[in-house]
Amino acid sequence: MIPNPLRDPRDRRLPRVPEPCALVVFGITGDLARKKLLPAVYDLANRGLLPTNFALLGFARRDWGDQDFAELARDAARNAARTPWREEVWERLASSVRFVQGSFDDDNAFDELANALADLESSHGIGGNAAFYLSIPPAMFPVVLKQMQRTGMAESTPDRWRRVVVEKPFGTDLASSRELNELVDSVFSAEDVFRIDHYLGKETVQNLMALRFANTLFEPIWNGHHVDSVQITMAEDVGIGGRAGFYEKTGAARDVLQNHLLQLLALTAMEEPVEFSADEIRTEKLKVLRAVSLPEDVRTFAVRGQYEQGWLAGQRARGYRQEEGVDPESTTETFAAVRLGVETRRWAGVPFYLRTGKRLPRRVTEIALVFKRAPHLPFADTDTEELGNNQLVVRVQPDEGVTLKFGSKVPGSVMEVRDVSMDFLYGEQFTETSPEAYERLLLDVLLGDATLFPRNAEVEASWAVIDPLEEFWAGGTPEPYRAGEWGPRAADEMLAAEGRRWRRP
Amino acid sequence: MTTLWDTTGSAVVKELAAQRRTGGAVLSGVALTLVVVADEGRVTEAEDAATTAAEQHPCRILVVVRRQIDAPVPRLDAEVSIGGRLGPGEAVVMRMYGRLALHAESVVLPLLAADAPVVTWWHSDPPSRLTTDALAVIADRRITDSTVAADQMRALRTRAQDYAPGDTDLAWTRATGWRATLTSALDSVSGRRGDAVQVLGGRIEGDPGAATAQLLAGWIQSRSGARLDVVQATRHAGPSGIDSVVLQLDQDEEVRVHADRRGGAVISQPYRPDATMALPDRSLGDLLGEELRRLDPDEPYAEALEVTTGVSGLAGRTGVRSHVWVDPAEQDGAGSGAVDAEQVDEGSPHGAAPTVPPTSEGTDEVALHGEHDTPDPTAPETSEAVR
Repeated sequence: MIPNPLRDPRDRRLPRVPEPCALVVFGITGDLARKKLLPAVYDLANRGLLPTNFALLGFARRDWGDQDFAELARDAARNAARTPWREEVWERLASSVRFVQGSFDDDNAFDELANALADLESSHGIGGNAAFYLSIPPAMFPVVLKQMQRTGMAESTPDRWRRVVVEKPFGTDLASSRELNELVDSVFSAEDVFRIDHYLGKETVQNLMALRFANTLFEPIWNGHHVDSVQITMAEDVGIGGRAGFYEKTGAARDVLQNHLLQLLALTAMEEPVEFSADEIRTEKLKVLRAVSLPEDVRTFAVRGQYEQGWLAGQRARGYRQEEGVDPESTTETFAAVRLGVETRRWAGVPFYLRTGKRLPRRVTEIALVFKRAPHLPFADTDTEELGNNQLVVRVQPDEGVTLKFGSKVPGSVMEVRDVSMDFLYGEQFTETSPEAYERLLLDVLLGDATLFPRNAEVEASWAVIDPLEEFWAGGTPEPYRAGEWGPRAADEMLAAEGRRWRRP
Repeated sequence: MTTLWDTTGSAVVKELAAQRRTGGAVLSGVALTLVVVADEGRVTEAEDAATTAAEQHPCRILVVVRRQIDAPVPRLDAEVSIGGRLGPGEAVVMRMYGRLALHAESVVLPLLAADAPVVTWWHSDPPSRLTTDALAVIADRRITDSTVAADQMRALRTRAQDYAPGDTDLAWTRATGWRATLTSALDSVSGRRGDAVQVLGGRIEGDPGAATAQLLAGWIQSRSGARLDVVQATRHAGPSGIDSVVLQLDQDEEVRVHADRRGGAVISQPYRPDATMALPDRSLGDLLGEELRRLDPDEPYAEALEVTTGVSGLAGRTGVRSHVWVDPAEQDGAGSGAVDAEQVDEGSPHGAAPTVPPTSEGTDEVALHGEHDTPDPTAPETSEAVR
């Protein structure tokens, strides 16, 4: 960055504002763009975090003028914006919004897009910088990337940067993700590729690093000497919604386990990075992902399930096979649980239990460290009957915060110890002003800060974990569980086999 | 919410504890205590702002309203609420009458959240020497607002003379948006050139009497070394007192940023079309929220204040203040500032100014002997230690 006389490292009031640039969104009419991206762009503009010269370019197949697009974008932003609506902010943004219509295999459309970008350079002074957001099915990637290569849009030069943002899924297995990575890397250089895992944009996930590395309290016990096991849960109460086509091919393991859960595992288990920079953090995460080991007894320690008809939150819920667009004989899993190990000195022998599922009783994501029991209890056995393991729980969503569970004496004349929990809530009332994950991540892309984005080596290492599981599961039928239950019985048995049980989140 | 009429500090502490118990786990993380000193006329405004700020930073809000210092009998009325009209956290609004108003800290001290930083904000005219207010001495950060003063420049000079690290002023916070916009404007010039930019001079058009405009000029000067004046704008400048900023750059270029009065700023620079950036008028709560974000000394503010007022050596001052007892009733004129005990010689008309006595005995007749209208049922037995 060129030095600016007005900038002062001690001056922490001034926000980080990206250089002049354009954001090009492919698939701007899609769900993600309307529900997350456009509102995030508005919120950034409203908070004054977009550069002076900024333009938004939408590309989609629909036959629209700039006007129609501006209308849609306005409605989308207005419906989902986090910050108060201010018409004048939107108007200003709208004046730099362009729409390019065309299909992805249409050479003319991409020439037009390249021209529009060049026009914006002179009319809006975006300085040639652009980020391309691929909010499109991965099957379309090759066509779009080829087109970008053909028109020369993807080239970063010393004068300008060009970045690409890729949404998950990053492939469907190791081979396809390698293929995808090679394809993307052949068009963009590796440091210009940003893979969005929106979980990493959440405050609590970033707070996990603060919790671990800014305090002296937790790090000494953050290892296999004190930790008995780690449970990482991401539960959703919703079904598959309208995404049957996508979900049938994907399943819970590929959809969630491969990315979100393994990233949370990496952040939980990683060593302290040398410094808080993108490269160092990603290096440490990669080390953990490479050290992940699969259970030897896959049959017991890797469970997948599929929800059946049941009741959830007082409403009847359909079974997965009855969902619209799903094969009545489908063997796609909607629940996956697995016991992983991390083969490092710090974590040797500590099981990491990961689970995710749809149509579980509530929407919750959390990381729970379950500590070993005290080696000796000076109390009578009957005194500590109700005492469980101490736990440190990082609640990612909802109610972002931290819970510490420990034993305490029950007030009264007898000695009786039972579990109580102490809550730290940086959530609820207070998070309404903390930025939405997409807002944060989008800003980071424009700033070129890759700290919160997984590197392709991480993605590949994650697939290396998932592939053997998928291989084992292939051809089998997932265990059924009723909608509104915490997964199939086999998942409970998986922990019971080692004398543990799932924490109810 | 509970209102306690004619009460005592310990009753307020008890009520807060009681509400925490019965209210359930409403709030468990308190990052700081925010003490708000406000006039009766501005108390609603201050409460609204504190509520907004509390949504961003979990804090305990203690609003102190000092009323009728000359009232014969000291009295404390308090409103205690958790998760009520004053936001999600704990809040106590206290109205103090009579001599008690001069001993507000005696009520505030036991109410501070344990070992959490304290921020005191005066939404009124602050004392010219903050050390004379015990509520400033207990605070880690002290927030004043020079823009509420009748003579803003004089208020700024007072703040500079009295400055200690940890002081800050909302007039400075009001400049943040402008500072961000100007920085971003220079970024875009240097981005175009591919080379660094130098600021050689310029001017701020606006209200020369506005503290924010002056601080902004001071800041640009402290950063660039160039000379900058605040000149009267042709049209009425907005609440910040800044209408536009013109910066003379090297290579004979000029950047002009001016408020469009629709929540934006238009940036004009050579070889580029005009660009607009968000520069909204910010609410008091939003400004306060920015202040609570960081509690460490604000060096850029100190430097800007130095240049603006010509008072030097701000950065080297110690951040520790000790309380100087001043009785306004014994002052000759209001606003003349306090006098240090050591500075007053025997010949002074009102004798040596009293320092904080080792005991409170005998120093405050009314506070000691004034009686409550009704006996306080919650007051502890005299023999019992006060919790």
